[in-house]
Amino acid sequence: MNNLLVGFIPILPLLVFLILLFGRRRFTLKTSGWISIIGTGMSFMLTLPLLWYGNVFHIQVPWFEIEGTVIQFGFTLYTLNTIMLVIVSFISLLVQIYSLGYMKEDQRVATFYAYLSLFTFSMLGLVMSSNLLQLYIFWELVGVCSFLLIGFWYFKPTAREAARKAFIVTRIGDVGLFIAICLIFWQVGSFEITDLYTAVSNGAISPGMITWIAILTFLGAVGKSGQFPLHTWLPDAMEGPTPVSALIHAATMVAAGVYLVASLFFLFEASEIAMNVVANTGAFTAIFAATIALTQFDIKRILAYSTVSQLGYMMFALGSSGLVAGVFHLMTHAFFKALLFLLAGAIIYTLHHEQDIRKMNGLWHTHKGLGVLFLIGCLSIAGIPPFSGFFSKEEILLAAYADGRMSIFWIGVIASFLTTLYMFRLFFQVFMGDKQTKKSTLPVPTVMYIPMVLLALISSLIGFTFDGKKWGDWLTDNWVLQLNHQVTMPLWIPIVVTSLSLVAIGLAYVWYGRKKGLSEQRQGWFARMQHIVYRKYYVDEFYQFVILMPLKGLSWFLNGFDRFIVGGLVYLTSLKMLTLGSLGSRLQNGQAQRYLLISVMGCVCILMWLVAGGLFKWIP
Amino acid sequence: MDSIVQALPTLLTFLPLLGVIALLLSERTNGTLHRRLGIGFTLPPLALAVWMFVKQVLANTSLTWTHAFDWFYIPLPQGSWTFQYMMQIDGLSLVFIMLTCLITTMATIASHSIHERTRAYYSLILLLQVGMLGVFSAFNLFLFFIFFEITLISMYFLIGIWGFLHKEKAANYFLLYNGLGSGFLLFAMIGLLMLAESLNYDDIANAITALVQQLELLPPEVGLMVWGVFGSLMIAFAIKLPIFPFHTWMLKVHVEAPTPIVMIHSGVLLKMGAYGMIRFGYGFFPTFMQEIAFTLAIVGVISILYGALLAIVESELKKVLAYSSISHMGIVLIGLGAINETGLKGAVFQSISHGLISALLFYLVGRLYQRTQTTQFNELGGLAKSMPVFSGILMVGVLALLGLPGTSGFISEFFAFLALFASKPIVAAIGTLGLIFAAFYALRIVLKVSFGPIADKHMHLSDLRFNESIPMLILVVVIIMIGISPAVLSYPIDSVLHTLITQIGGQ
Repeated sequence: MNNLLVGFIPILPLLVFLILLFGRRRFTLKTSGWISIIGTGMSFMLTLPLLWYGNVFHIQVPWFEIEGTVIQFGFTLYTLNTIMLVIVSFISLLVQIYSLGYMKEDQRVATFYAYLSLFTFSMLGLVMSSNLLQLYIFWELVGVCSFLLIGFWYFKPTAREAARKAFIVTRIGDVGLFIAICLIFWQVGSFEITDLYTAVSNGAISPGMITWIAILTFLGAVGKSGQFPLHTWLPDAMEGPTPVSALIHAATMVAAGVYLVASLFFLFEASEIAMNVVANTGAFTAIFAATIALTQFDIKRILAYSTVSQLGYMMFALGSSGLVAGVFHLMTHAFFKALLFLLAGAIIYTLHHEQDIRKMNGLWHTHKGLGVLFLIGCLSIAGIPPFSGFFSKEEILLAAYADGRMSIFWIGVIASFLTTLYMFRLFFQVFMGDKQTKKSTLPVPTVMYIPMVLLALISSLIGFTFDGKKWGDWLTDNWVLQLNHQVTMPLWIPIVVTSLSLVAIGLAYVWYGRKKGLSEQRQGWFARMQHIVYRKYYVDEFYQFVILMPLKGLSWFLNGFDRFIVGGLVYLTSLKMLTLGSLGSRLQNGQAQRYLLISVMGCVCILMWLVAGGLFKWIP
Repeated sequence: MDSIVQALPTLLTFLPLLGVIALLLSERTNGTLHRRLGIGFTLPPLALAVWMFVKQVLANTSLTWTHAFDWFYIPLPQGSWTFQYMMQIDGLSLVFIMLTCLITTMATIASHSIHERTRAYYSLILLLQVGMLGVFSAFNLFLFFIFFEITLISMYFLIGIWGFLHKEKAANYFLLYNGLGSGFLLFAMIGLLMLAESLNYDDIANAITALVQQLELLPPEVGLMVWGVFGSLMIAFAIKLPIFPFHTWMLKVHVEAPTPIVMIHSGVLLKMGAYGMIRFGYGFFPTFMQEIAFTLAIVGVISILYGALLAIVESELKKVLAYSSISHMGIVLIGLGAINETGLKGAVFQSISHGLISALLFYLVGRLYQRTQTTQFNELGGLAKSMPVFSGILMVGVLALLGLPGTSGFISEFFAFLALFASKPIVAAIGTLGLIFAAFYALRIVLKVSFGPIADKHMHLSDLRFNESIPMLILVVVIIMIGISPAVLSYPIDSVLHTLITQIGGQ
């Protein structure tokens, strides 16, 4: 395939961004949407053939120099990031189509599409980058787009706070990545991922340093992918428009962390400690977020915690050497989670921006289409065969099982059970029960249905493409990756997990489907436990007290220090100067004789000094 | 033609003087004419600088333009001290000259709101430009000192006459501190004259190198003297930069001076500190720089964190920017403390980049103040509704301030930190905390000003006019251009920095 055309994949959305930015006053709401859709659509069309060609593609131009080393700006394509390219451009396209309906009443649609295009550009650039510095640049750019889109409704104070939180919390992780990149340069002498691979496999970097680099890189992934303890921004990010949540905070950007770990898999594999950190963080996040999702009432927050939990799944798959499993789950999750978010958006839309599931019921009567699609989404994420989630989830559990860390394996199984439980809690709550009577519901426009139907189809069918061996070969044959183990799955794992999921569906039906389980008040220790979980284990409050408040305190202390101590010293100095000045002014009393005297004294001083100059002969 | 090219550094430096003459000849009350003349006469140096820059980039090496002749001499009992007039523009000077010309032009354009004594105002700005250009193109310490003083004097009047409420106090603080700095500089100059018997940079560098090599053989007083000279040079420029705890005057200037002047002050004058440390610190005393490298890095990190933490809680826009300047100048210091080529590059990049970014932000502050009459955060908010273009440009400026990749702010920080990670990873790692704090205070600006609910009285503010936004867009383009393609800026400086760093040996 022509190099030039590949270059166009990210450039098209960038062009759209510029066009919309400068012409936003001139375009009608519809036009700007279509410009953006055409741009992203063309990018998507260009990515499709790459899946079939499948050969390594590499293009680079000299960028700048560091200490005589030429740093290249380059794009590289291999299977892993080709898959990412297709996912990103496809979901971005669908979300943009969907937004034609969802955002049609907003006055700043052109700006919205401009931001979406900028995001698409940055995300495509991120996955195509061949070196880490360049990846970091796009990594930060997607963060900014996320910030801009979360804060899209800038006048809402909640949106403002959420945007700030998203940027700063992910930035904490980004600094880790920043440090890792600096360390890599001095260890390897290059930012290229392939050079890093060579250095790692040659043993040119000491094991301790590899561990440091890997963990710092992982910190970046933790921030971006909302892993514990930097997960707090992701649920708050739901303040943004729902299409944004679907695209950025479910399907693509938050998966960037997983992508980063996957594409630097060789680095993590070289350090056992790093693998442990990845696996444990992932597993903990998976179950931690799943429990929170079980107690929330905001439909988007439930899905957000679900996203956090599923990203944890991908991480512990990678940490358990299950590269194929992690990547495959990344893909299936992108589709079914985008579907679920778009559905959530449609539900919110029909209910006049109602997000509290306690106020939703009986939607099945009026919106059967949404119901069917939602059910497909739920079955996919729950891992009921033959929906896509089944294949990827089994593969992850298999990887954990094969890796031998049984505790992580069982955490995965329990998290899978919880996933099904909270998803069906949501489903039954929203769709079952009596018909909505109080308010009329809006019909969902066709432009919003089309993307959802497509996603539902893919979510149901994509699982059949899965064959661990083939995928493994496909992922590794053109990239610096090696996979060591291929284990056949013990038959009991899928049976146990699937039956657990079915049990969870049953439980959800009993608890939430038949009666109004959510409005029921519970008492005793269970209620207290539930409250703690509902308040997200008080992690936000903890950060508030342990990090933010001391930081603010320190700042205020320094503020006082600067004002009174430093400023006071300055004041004293200036007083001294004033005294000196008044001394000096006494010399200038307007009498010519005194001036003459001073001049003569000055001349004498200069003369003496010039004569004394002879004393400095020994100075060369 | 040849003689013109030869005299280019002098020509460039004194071109704005023509403007001063033209202004003095013009009618006293015609403000519009003064403004046009003021803007007009900043353009020829800008054009000349751009021409030199393009030539430099096309040539892909570091070109130098030298203008030198014997000036005057002081006879001594043995021989004499000859003062040579020497102006030289090399790659390092050139990037700072570009910055000076660009920002002076922007500042004159940004002087919409100056309506009193316009003739004096624009004359002083042009005089200030002569001083700044001279500082960067002088190749003789005596000339440097004269130009340095010219900037002080013109700045003093610009702050004292056209400033805000406490302008006289701010002007006095400015003069006091910078006078102190000049004192140190004067001392260093005399010391160097005695040690090297010449004030040309090359001669001084050679003499000091020779001296340092045989320092053990000489009486200890000489060593003390060399250290004293080095120390006072460093202090002089540390005050200028400014480094904690010499920063109080800078806060006052940032808050009280008229915003176009702050653009110049924050954009160019502070950078003279960085320029001086590179040109004189590295140029004359390379081995000494190596010895104080650790101190520089530590002071740099302290400045980064101190400035950033103070910026986090400050509730007035200009003060936030002032403290952020301290933080950003800390990055210059860690670049200098890294003692490698990348570190020096980071320091130069950071100087240029921060110059551009703070000029942009102070331009915005000026426009904002003109419309709202306030820069207090608690009286602002939601301006994205009534002023979307303003808010958009503010967003870009703020993102550049926090070092977003793709802007010049990132690449400069990156060079500086990357360099420091080579030699002092722990210090550098502590310094990276500053990146997080930077996100805190920088975002706070835009979230307090543009986001949130809007006050009723701000509902109908007029957005930026086209002619107001053009200079800002030029700055934005330059900021992004450096960010995307850092090679543009590094062509001219690379070989100069390489020469400087090879003097240290080793790296």
